[in-house]
Amino acid sequence: MADLFKVHINFATSQLIFPTIIACVLAVLGIAIAITHRHRIAGAGAHWRAIAGRMDKMRFFGAIGLTLVYFSTMQPVGNLWPNTGMGFLLTSIPFVFLCGVLFLHDRRPGNMIGLTVAALVAPTLVWWVFADLFFLTLP
Amino acid sequence: MDLLSFVTPLFLTLIVSGTVIGIVFGSIPGLTATMAVAVCLPLTYSLGLNNGLGLLLGLYVGGISGGLVPAILLGIPGTPSSITTTFDGYPMAKRGEGERALRIGIVSSVVGGLISLAVLVLFAPLLADFAIDFSYVEKFLIILFALTVMAALSKDMLLGIFSGVLGIFISLIGTYDVSNGGNGKERLIPPGTEYWLQDGFSLLPVLIGLFGLAAILEEAELGVPKGQSMKDIKVGAHSRFSFSVFGGQIVNLVRSSLIGTFVGILPGVGGSAASILSYTNAKTFSRHPERFGKGEPAGIIASESGNNGLTGGALVPLLSLGIPGDSTTALLIGAFTLQGVQVGPLFISGNTETWNAMIVAMLIANVAMFVVMYLAIRWLALAVTIPKHILFPIILMMCVIGAYTINYGIMFDVWTLLIFGIGGWLMGKVGLEVAPFIIGFILGPSAEVYFVKTLESFGTLTIFFTKSWIAVVLWLLIAGSVATSVWMSRRHRRLDEG
Repeated sequence: MADLFKVHINFATSQLIFPTIIACVLAVLGIAIAITHRHRIAGAGAHWRAIAGRMDKMRFFGAIGLTLVYFSTMQPVGNLWPNTGMGFLLTSIPFVFLCGVLFLHDRRPGNMIGLTVAALVAPTLVWWVFADLFFLTLP
Repeated sequence: MDLLSFVTPLFLTLIVSGTVIGIVFGSIPGLTATMAVAVCLPLTYSLGLNNGLGLLLGLYVGGISGGLVPAILLGIPGTPSSITTTFDGYPMAKRGEGERALRIGIVSSVVGGLISLAVLVLFAPLLADFAIDFSYVEKFLIILFALTVMAALSKDMLLGIFSGVLGIFISLIGTYDVSNGGNGKERLIPPGTEYWLQDGFSLLPVLIGLFGLAAILEEAELGVPKGQSMKDIKVGAHSRFSFSVFGGQIVNLVRSSLIGTFVGILPGVGGSAASILSYTNAKTFSRHPERFGKGEPAGIIASESGNNGLTGGALVPLLSLGIPGDSTTALLIGAFTLQGVQVGPLFISGNTETWNAMIVAMLIANVAMFVVMYLAIRWLALAVTIPKHILFPIILMMCVIGAYTINYGIMFDVWTLLIFGIGGWLMGKVGLEVAPFIIGFILGPSAEVYFVKTLESFGTLTIFFTKSWIAVVLWLLIAGSVATSVWMSRRHRRLDEG
């Protein structure tokens, strides 16, 4: 009986033991969820349609799109002025402004001026504090 | 005095600033204490451990407390932990007693915070001393216990466990760390991503993505609802507050604080559970339960002392066992990691100054929270009106700094932030829970080392049951929490069907 619980660990392949066990546990849990939540899973289409129906698509996908562009351009811009954090600063200003415009409901001149000031001041201040004062590496 | 040598003007300024920023974050619906800590984590790089922790603990206490402002004035919980404050706070505000309700909430918050701090001071060193002798077997079982407790208190037991195990699985991506006795070989890395994923996903970008970007995406999904204008907010400046309101509420205050502290000690359980449990108990033991939900001060006292009780409680397992008590304390692990300090049973005895600094910081943060909120009560309403269209892009920008600087400038960490931000949003939509996922992600690598090394040493699975009486007790606790999970799950199902 005691032999049943004996385990021999081969050091050369020991990196796979725990991930394999966890993957098996995940699979068992996945099957249990699939069985116990079958009605909810069957109604998943309606669930996602409801989410899509009430979603503000412009703001949601716009935010993801702007973030993608922001992250993609940061490093290439930074490479033009290496080790200065300029990539961060020069991409953050338009990102904060455009994201702000995207999220803003009432785009009157007064609100736009406030947003423009914030888009110029906040990234510059943050860049100065982190790159200049704290000497942190920025793109 | 050498004992308090870390108390410098900068230390004090950071705690107070952190508390004020935390209050602002907590006051804005959609922003949380966790997000405040995530956004400000990069600041701790250059501040040193004690000063950095001072800032983060101020943010934590302020963030949890600030949630009461919109809960009372607008009926919208600023943070999940202040959900029950809306039940009685908002009815009081509607009948012109907003300021009185705010003051009741503030006093209750500081009492809850201080009681939980006392429990932290007394209990964490004892637990750490006890845990010092734990072998890998007991350490592994503690992690297993933490995961089952989280599952027991999840909305859905199976999904809660699945989330935790998924967190463990994702934490195992990368190399089996040689410094922990591993063989240095890679696993679970998708082909073509070996360059980036050799060391797996970094903790901090994952946390920032799940708690920063995911929260903003959720707001974007709802169209970034407009902030409130001052016209909508009725502070009720002429409502009179007197400490006599606490006259018959001492038991409620202490009981709720202790409930909050206990919930904090349980790993992965958030402030909403603390306030709901405290509120339910106050209602059950009240002589006038019918008044609850209609503007009863006892409801605010229970809710606010309960959620602030969480703050000290959540630090107990973190500092004594290395297991975070909630998602915000999980982020504090990031701050320790940045400074190369490991939390666990040896932390308190090996880092006495940092331990003292944390206690002092918590004490000052609670006092600062009380003073700032009590004196600036009419200004608090302004925090609710800060426009989100300005705040959210700036928070995103701060998230980038946190992610990019964690490994001294790796762009993949910024992409990790985006992957887990979108992943966190999706998890919410399919019913997976972020808190168990995070705890699993943090504890996964340790669980692996404890499990595999135990088997390498003893060569049998029975050792997990026979190593010591502590192991037996832990198995009983694990069985108890699993049984509780099943019982709660069936009860919920019956209630849903009924």
